[in-house]
Amino acid sequence: MASPSRTEIISLFRSLLRSARQFPDYNIREYTKRRTIDSFRHNKTLSDPSSIAAAFSDGKSQLQVARRQAVVYSLYAPEIKSIMDVKH
Amino acid sequence: MAARNAILKHLRVSVKPVLSSSTSQNPRLIERGLIQLFRRHFSEEVRGSFLDKSEVTDRVVTCVKNFQKIDPSKVTPTAHFQNDLGLDSLDTVEVVMALEEEFGFEISDNEADKISSINHAVDFIASHPHAK
Repeated sequence: MASPSRTEIISLFRSLLRSARQFPDYNIREYTKRRTIDSFRHNKTLSDPSSIAAAFSDGKSQLQVARRQAVVYSLYAPEIKSIMDVKH
Repeated sequence: MAARNAILKHLRVSVKPVLSSSTSQNPRLIERGLIQLFRRHFSEEVRGSFLDKSEVTDRVVTCVKNFQKIDPSKVTPTAHFQNDLGLDSLDTVEVVMALEEEFGFEISDNEADKISSINHAVDFIASHPHAK
């Protein structure tokens, strides 16, 4: 498997962060963002082309999951966006 | 900026005759008040399309200072993300994403790749009609 280019990796990173923003729920939004950033940092030191390619394709499948779940979650979005909006 | 001045100048000329004929007492004062009103209204509209550069600089600098990894004292309007602030390529992507959120518009991938300093970000955002 050919190792992905730097631009492709940056683009995947950006797409994951963009899909993270789609979640209506604050916790999931932040979790997806945090997980994206952490795993890219974790794999920063990879140098073996095959492991880079494996990590890249894993990231791509995670992107599919995030996109799909963002749609599912948006169908069941909470009515109140933030508990700060709750009126007593 | 030039367009805004042109519009304001045009407006001022067209407003004056109406006012001087209709107001008998203290016309200058009312006239000025009305012009202020119009000017504010117009600048708001203009700002909807292009933001003022100094305002953009302020907001970008504040936004960048909020980053955990960045030493706020190092942030200057001309700082380079990688050379001056010590960010790597992933951090730069995060900064640009944060700027997107701050200004409420989406920066396309190839534009975002080019943004490498605060100066550059300010120029780009100030020239972008959808920034708010």
